[in-house]
Amino acid sequence: MKSKKLLIIFLLPWLSFAGGQEIYFENCEKCHGFSQQGSLGLPLYRSTIANHSDNYLKKTIKYGRPGRIMPGFNLSNAQMTKLIRFLRAGVKAPQYSQAVIAGDAQAGKHTYEQYCQRCHGSQLEGGEGTGKNFSWQKDREVSPPALANQGFLHAAEDQMIKHIIMNGIKDTEMMSFKKEFNFTDQMANDLVAYIRSHQKSAQFDNKPEATKEPLVFVYQSQHNLGTTVDKLRDSAAAYNFRVYPSRTLFEGFGKQSIEDEKQVVVRFCNFKNMQKFLKLDPRLGVMLPCRATVIENDQGEVHIYLENYMHAVLRFNNEQIAIEAKDLIDSMKEMVEEAIW
Amino acid sequence: MVVRILALWVLIFTSNVFANQGELLIERVNAKFSYTWLALDKTIKANGYKAAYLQRCDFALNERHYKSDKYRILFFGQYDEMQAMSKKYPKLSPFFPLKITAMEEGVHTLIIATPPITLLPLVETDEDRMQIFRWNEDMKNILKQVKNQYK
Repeated sequence: MKSKKLLIIFLLPWLSFAGGQEIYFENCEKCHGFSQQGSLGLPLYRSTIANHSDNYLKKTIKYGRPGRIMPGFNLSNAQMTKLIRFLRAGVKAPQYSQAVIAGDAQAGKHTYEQYCQRCHGSQLEGGEGTGKNFSWQKDREVSPPALANQGFLHAAEDQMIKHIIMNGIKDTEMMSFKKEFNFTDQMANDLVAYIRSHQKSAQFDNKPEATKEPLVFVYQSQHNLGTTVDKLRDSAAAYNFRVYPSRTLFEGFGKQSIEDEKQVVVRFCNFKNMQKFLKLDPRLGVMLPCRATVIENDQGEVHIYLENYMHAVLRFNNEQIAIEAKDLIDSMKEMVEEAIW
Repeated sequence: MVVRILALWVLIFTSNVFANQGELLIERVNAKFSYTWLALDKTIKANGYKAAYLQRCDFALNERHYKSDKYRILFFGQYDEMQAMSKKYPKLSPFFPLKITAMEEGVHTLIIATPPITLLPLVETDEDRMQIFRWNEDMKNILKQVKNQYK
């Protein structure tokens, strides 16, 4: 009898995580790492999760963080429960009251500027780049969360925000402001009111805005194929891109037809930009290298095809890189327009 | 014709091609970059594609406080399929050949690709949509197969 009880106690954690682990491996591991150590996404340490209510975790998983890489996931209630149980790994879920905290947002703004802005940004925009990255050095080990993010504000209860301000989060840079700076209840309440004042609406819409721009920009050149390629290369160099040797579209496939000679890829890269982008989002490679495809059709017309990176950028769910990419595509368009004249 | 349309609908409804279609395809491989790169090359061939060339993106990364300069893009595809499609739809040419990015992350490697399904608005016939669905499924399978080799 005693041994049966021991067996049940021994198996209990495994039984309760069953299913949740698989859901984690299927959906979360690619960004949060095999052992929740963080990567493209934030670390999901048990000590961090211990501060988050089930309600907060459910909404975070369901709606994600618009513009901050974390997408929303369509999981059933049962799947969600299993996943959260797995993430908690036996740690009890905290219970927060749903009561709204009343505070002086103006006083909270002052406190924020004094104590929080250094990490969370002057516009509560959070740290630069992705969650935690093991490939390159960052100013901070973990990117501080964006407190003004509508996904965060929709998910977090006032009481949870206050609890974290006062007690900090173990194993992270988020310290206890009660312990370190003698924060009073009133200071925390004011701060919560200031953070909450950034919520735009009680309703939350996590659908990203679809761009109405075309997937591909097409330009007709006034020149023949060879001249267009030469002019494009010169123009790219003038726009501070390093230009790689051109290649035909299907070079490297071992087959070559006469048609292929009329499809030339001009490849170029601005290394300074590339490194800036990589710091913001290491998944940038799916857009690299910058290129323009020059094709002469059967009628002898020469066209230049340019991928519109704004579509690719939408898939990153990273608003920091979206702003930079707009500048890049604009300079590429100018570069092509210059080349075809 | 009827069979083709039927096959297209079966593909749409039996696969989750539309689930999270706007998102990048990512897999984390429990292996160092060099092993993953070899596995990626072999898996691409095993799925009937040819690896055409690679693009290294390691320019001065180490000199700029990056912990690793292992960052490469592998371009691949099937010549006949892509040639026919780019002839019919030149707007597809900026997306050819297909590509997978591999980057080192500590002792793991991330492999990332844009889902080919995002090219659907550029084609017009069911047959060509089928082709893109197939590329999409193959891309997902390649990434999964590489990951599963180092579970």
